[in-house]
Amino acid sequence: MKNLCQFAVDVAKRLGAVYADARIVEIRNQYLMTEDQRVSAIHDQESAGIGIRVILDGAWGFAATSRLDKDSVEKAAKQSVAIARAGALAKAPDGIHWADEPAHVDTYKTPVKVDPFSVPLEDKIGLMLGISKEVLGVKGVKKCHSFMHFRRQHRFLASTDGTLIEADVITSTARYQATAVGEKTAKTRYYEATARNAGYEHIQNTPLLREAQRVGTEAVEHLSAKACPEGRKDLILMPSHLALTMHESIGHATELDRVLGMEESCAGSSFATIDKLGTLRYGSPIMNIVCDNTYPEGLASMGYDDDGVQCQRWDMIRNGILVDYKTNRETCHAIGAKRSHGSCRADSWASIPIMRQSNFSLEPGEKPLTPEELIADTRDGILIDGMGSFSIDQKRVNFQFGGDCFWEIKDGKVAGMLKDVTYQAITTEFWGSLDALCDKRFWEPHGVMNCGKGDPMQSAQMSHASAPSRFRQIRVGGAKP
Amino acid sequence: MNADAMMEILEKALRLSTAEVTVAALRGGTNASTRFAENVITQSVQKTEYQLSVECAYGQKHGAAATSNLSEEAIKSVVQRADAAAKASPPDPEYMPPVEKDESGKYAKVEAYDARTAQTEPRERAQAVRKAVDRAVAGKMRISGLLAMEDEFHALGNSVGLRAIHSSTNAYCHVTALGDNGSGWAHQCSHRMGDIDLQATAERSLGIARLAQNPTDIEPGRYTVILRPAAVQEFVPYYVICDAKATDEGRTCLRGKLGQKVCGENITLRSDPSDPRCPRTPFRHDGLASPTLNWIGKGVLENLATSRFWAKKTGRQATGYPANVIMDGGSATDEEMIASTERGIFVVRFWYIRTVDPMESLLTGMTRDGLFLIENGKITRPLKQLRFNDTVLGVLSRVEQIGQLERVENMLMPTIKVREFHFTSTTKF
Repeated sequence: MKNLCQFAVDVAKRLGAVYADARIVEIRNQYLMTEDQRVSAIHDQESAGIGIRVILDGAWGFAATSRLDKDSVEKAAKQSVAIARAGALAKAPDGIHWADEPAHVDTYKTPVKVDPFSVPLEDKIGLMLGISKEVLGVKGVKKCHSFMHFRRQHRFLASTDGTLIEADVITSTARYQATAVGEKTAKTRYYEATARNAGYEHIQNTPLLREAQRVGTEAVEHLSAKACPEGRKDLILMPSHLALTMHESIGHATELDRVLGMEESCAGSSFATIDKLGTLRYGSPIMNIVCDNTYPEGLASMGYDDDGVQCQRWDMIRNGILVDYKTNRETCHAIGAKRSHGSCRADSWASIPIMRQSNFSLEPGEKPLTPEELIADTRDGILIDGMGSFSIDQKRVNFQFGGDCFWEIKDGKVAGMLKDVTYQAITTEFWGSLDALCDKRFWEPHGVMNCGKGDPMQSAQMSHASAPSRFRQIRVGGAKP
Repeated sequence: MNADAMMEILEKALRLSTAEVTVAALRGGTNASTRFAENVITQSVQKTEYQLSVECAYGQKHGAAATSNLSEEAIKSVVQRADAAAKASPPDPEYMPPVEKDESGKYAKVEAYDARTAQTEPRERAQAVRKAVDRAVAGKMRISGLLAMEDEFHALGNSVGLRAIHSSTNAYCHVTALGDNGSGWAHQCSHRMGDIDLQATAERSLGIARLAQNPTDIEPGRYTVILRPAAVQEFVPYYVICDAKATDEGRTCLRGKLGQKVCGENITLRSDPSDPRCPRTPFRHDGLASPTLNWIGKGVLENLATSRFWAKKTGRQATGYPANVIMDGGSATDEEMIASTERGIFVVRFWYIRTVDPMESLLTGMTRDGLFLIENGKITRPLKQLRFNDTVLGVLSRVEQIGQLERVENMLMPTIKVREFHFTSTTKF
């Protein structure tokens, strides 16, 4: 496969490409789904092909084929060159700024204890049906859906830089949802082994079965919970929930391609423009955002990105101030950086690499603080667990989020479950209200498996970590028809 | 890949399988696009991709596998993997035997392939972008967008003799135009590239963007709105086509409403894969014919999306899921609708619509790329973008006027005028 990648690069170079890379990716996805006590789907998908990308005449060309014979690869390489020549008809006056990166000849592998594809289907199904039985055993629960997904991406990358990389990345996740049906409505509750780059040991180490009764019970309780009040409340957001708020209000706003207008027609742009770099007060002084594509379990950790840049860790927001962005080799010049942070990924061999969110985390508090102590310190608030409804404008300013489960906090104590909670805010005002962070003992990453961006749309994965955090006086309950 | 080659691959997969029942599907083709932003081409791509899916079954035990590799060895492997998955699976009480051979007689005649579209070259697309960019530059504005074509096929076969094949092309463009302080958007979609006029689309988006400069504040609240077809397409289909099983089990907003009035009598939502304005694949993934029916007819919920299993259990007709969605349109032009509005808001499109409460069909989302105040029958000023929270069924009960149809993706939707649409907050631009 390496030889075939190198062959494609050589063909493109011979035809005049000033830069070329070729990626062969072999992808295997295994999906299992159950509904109550039946297995509704077992699907084992394999896909393999090559994507060839070139810069020529100051323009991009990209062609991909699932045919991995030499003739087809040569044809695709020629096609990518022809596409670039055509693209030069409306190229940027100063062409493409392509940041240098040392040549890397290396291999990368997700540390895995148990290969999920080696685990018999019967074992996985047994676990899923066992969970379902427990959930359905709770009075009032009418439905249980469960889902497992395992993915292997075996990737080869060669480029005219002299880079030659082989990476083998494995992702595992499992999730289930209980639905309680009442006379007039239905409510749900979910639990998951959040998506991680890890083997089946991640599924085994997550108490999926042990939590099943609690999850079912909370779905039933959700039916008769008090409606969300309307007004301003302090919010305690758990890592399972905050991951999505971070993703939408920080992650996308700090992708440099969006900031530069390259995504304007689809995913949108950003309020966090480069003239504000180093001065924009994104949040309160205790807000520190660190990007990190080096920790092995992060979904964006793959050794090297699809630009051939080694994965890195860097500060993006320090003491509440925007100090950096997520960058790729094409965009980093715009902020004066000589080297990309390595945030360029494609969702398949058939897709051109684009700038994607990295893994990133809200750093935990430095002083010891448990979630119980945080609740005890909150007079009038709502605690939110899990992801729910999420919507944000195309510059990432005005947002509205829901969640999966909600509890009212009164005078430092949990006062019962709420339903239909939503909160609305302006991004910088929301992060400016951050006033407490639990410490690192409670810091945990959560995965996002379906981040949509690009045109044609691509789906990417990344992890966002935090500890339980408190936000003061956020508007809740405005989501009424 | 021609039809003979597709069928040969399917037959090979069916022959190699020793399962009691086998269903094989092959889909794929070529997708090419030219993307631009800030008045330059930023991405030009072409991909050719195939996927062979095989489902095997023994009694009620079933499992599926897929591959992008169409070699003899890979076909053998995908059949083996599907077979292994089926054997490992416990019996599924909802498994249905394969669709019978004579179902193909129910397939609508669909003309969705245009050879000229399939032959579009990257240079043609780049030239069209160049011309559109020149218009933007002349107007001291910037454009971003995409011009794309797809050349695809779907082929299906099963072990009881059903064979189906359908080829289609698709062409589309969309353009976002920006001035210093405001944006506009326009789009076009057809199965023929010859119908796509990127320059005209760019001109429309530039016109909206010019009007949208320096937007002004407005208090959120309940307003009469005129929603352009792209906004209707984003909003309406969410909860008007619900799964029958989930609905009967009390898990959707349409529970207990089959045969009842669910919205205004002026609303008819239907599917028809043979509609020449939006032709779509005449069969679904299992071989069932794509439905041609009303989902909502004159405000009454006539059909739910019903699987073959649920149809058998409830004695209803199996519908499967739709290939397209069409809302019956009217004759009013956008201008006539604006002229008849004393005070309201004109919405070009929505963005990031998400469900807030599925049991109430409550959605939230933002307006985007063109929002204008209407006063005394005229557009008077651009507005800063607004967030809404409103229900689909509520909105469809408050439609006062229905305009002309436009194709948006796989739907035909009209401009509609709705009273008391609920905006709940504003943003900064």
